[in-house]
Amino acid sequence: MSATEASGRSRTGVLTAGPPSTWESFRAILASDLHFHRASPLIWGGSLGATCALVAAIWPSVADSIGRAMQGYPDSIKKAFGITTLSNVDQYVDAEMLSLIVPLAMAWFAVRVATRSIVWAEENHHLDSLLALPISRRVLVAGSLLATALLLAASLFLMWAMTLAAATAVDAHASAATLASGFANVWPISIAFAGFGVFLAGFLHRSASVVGIAGGTLVAMYVIDLVGKISPDLKPFRVLSAFRWYGSAVQDGFDWGHAMTLTAAGLLLAVVGAELFRRRDVL
Amino acid sequence: MSAVIETDALTKLYRGGAGIRDLTLTVDRGEVFGFLGPNGAGKTTTIRTLLDLLHPTSGNATIFGLDTRRCSREIRARVGNLPGDFAYEDRLTGEQLLRLFARLRGTNDLTGARSLAERFKADLNRPLRQLSRGNRQKIGIIQALFHNPELLILDEPTTGLDPLMQEEFLQLIAERREQGTTVFLSSHDLPEVERACDRVGIIRAGRLAAIESVDEMRARAYRKVTLKLREPADPAEFAAIEGVDSLERDGDEITFRALGPLDEVIAAVARHQVADLEITKPSLEELFLLYYDGTAGP
Repeated sequence: MSATEASGRSRTGVLTAGPPSTWESFRAILASDLHFHRASPLIWGGSLGATCALVAAIWPSVADSIGRAMQGYPDSIKKAFGITTLSNVDQYVDAEMLSLIVPLAMAWFAVRVATRSIVWAEENHHLDSLLALPISRRVLVAGSLLATALLLAASLFLMWAMTLAAATAVDAHASAATLASGFANVWPISIAFAGFGVFLAGFLHRSASVVGIAGGTLVAMYVIDLVGKISPDLKPFRVLSAFRWYGSAVQDGFDWGHAMTLTAAGLLLAVVGAELFRRRDVL
Repeated sequence: MSAVIETDALTKLYRGGAGIRDLTLTVDRGEVFGFLGPNGAGKTTTIRTLLDLLHPTSGNATIFGLDTRRCSREIRARVGNLPGDFAYEDRLTGEQLLRLFARLRGTNDLTGARSLAERFKADLNRPLRQLSRGNRQKIGIIQALFHNPELLILDEPTTGLDPLMQEEFLQLIAERREQGTTVFLSSHDLPEVERACDRVGIIRAGRLAAIESVDEMRARAYRKVTLKLREPADPAEFAAIEGVDSLERDGDEITFRALGPLDEVIAAVARHQVADLEITKPSLEELFLLYYDGTAGP
């Protein structure tokens, strides 16, 4: 028996018996997910990057008025929004974009991408075709999650590059490293929500339910963190919010511990979600 | 002859109560097994349970002797499946879809796919969303067959195909059977099953109503007899024959159904001067109704 026959393949390479290796399946799922979403970094990263670039570009013209306005804001409000000082373009981009809009948008994006190949595909009967092939549901989830992580990274890199380019163009003296840590800090919280989306997809069958619940939780967590910063009575509840662990990398530096915590939480949720998905019916 | 598919009291119940109950059947290696039933009877639920998309409520199933739950991936490597409603990312062209599915089967060889595409005149260069239902179905057929699987599980495979392509498909199934491929074909198109299948399982409201060879079904089926005599005759003479029912007389024409051997009927007819005699077999469709009426069964 030849080696190819022993491995279950004919000489022409057509599979005659035995599933492909997990690694082969994983690479194929990853490649196809990246292919389906290949425009996403340009659409999401490009549009948010353009907004960030605009914010950076107007900094020189608003710096003085912002400085004066900041002196008038109550300390509690500044604390709630994580703005202790607003004296350079990095902090301005952080306050305008990285404190709310970018993490909300990218976490939402992550939920959609990570769960598209599960519940959206289920709703549209794609899984009947895909899961009739010799791939495991765990591999499907793992491939989607890694694709999400890479697409997130690409989108955030594009945002960083556009922001830095705009700031440099107007001579705003941005710090590439500080901005990089600010944008990189969005990645772990987005992964946490991607994992939460996969967890929901482990037992829900409708895409709208998964995205809706994940989106609602995202906003609720932001509000919990915000209110917890203002109200001492509600401060203990901040621990429930992913935004408590997100913080501000521009203001306080990149917190590796918090980033690892969020990433680990996302991965743990995704593992549980994958197991639930494996055990449930595909309707 | 060894079994390729075996189910033992396979049951899948949904919350609403529909599904399949106590389904026990065997599909032998190399046979084309037709799975007949109207929409909602449980055909697709059976197929989806065999492919581990649905998990059985009770009972079990094996394919190639492997448990469909525990060894699903190994099984699916040897199976080609065409879902009832074939759909995938519609931005992909047929070529891209087949390339992806080939990779997920662990191969890059699209020789078989190209050959099938040529045979079915399938356009592999346009995105699926630009294809008609029939042309998408062709891509579905190609992805199910291109890797020469040992078992084909096909759910309503000719849906949307024009008559020429239906003919081509049935020819292809016959060729695959000659090559030893086992086929599990769900359909509500009785002429299609009559042409393609060796045996037929009839499912009704989630329960298996009968399993018979197509020939057996026909052999034990009634004949419709229409008799025109040259002189008046007493219909009671025919009504008294065992297996005759539904007798009607309209002038000099007598019609009735005859179940079983026709010897006595022929003998009774021979005692008269016959102007015309017509004995017709029921279509598979009429046979199908028998099982649903409960006048036939295992």
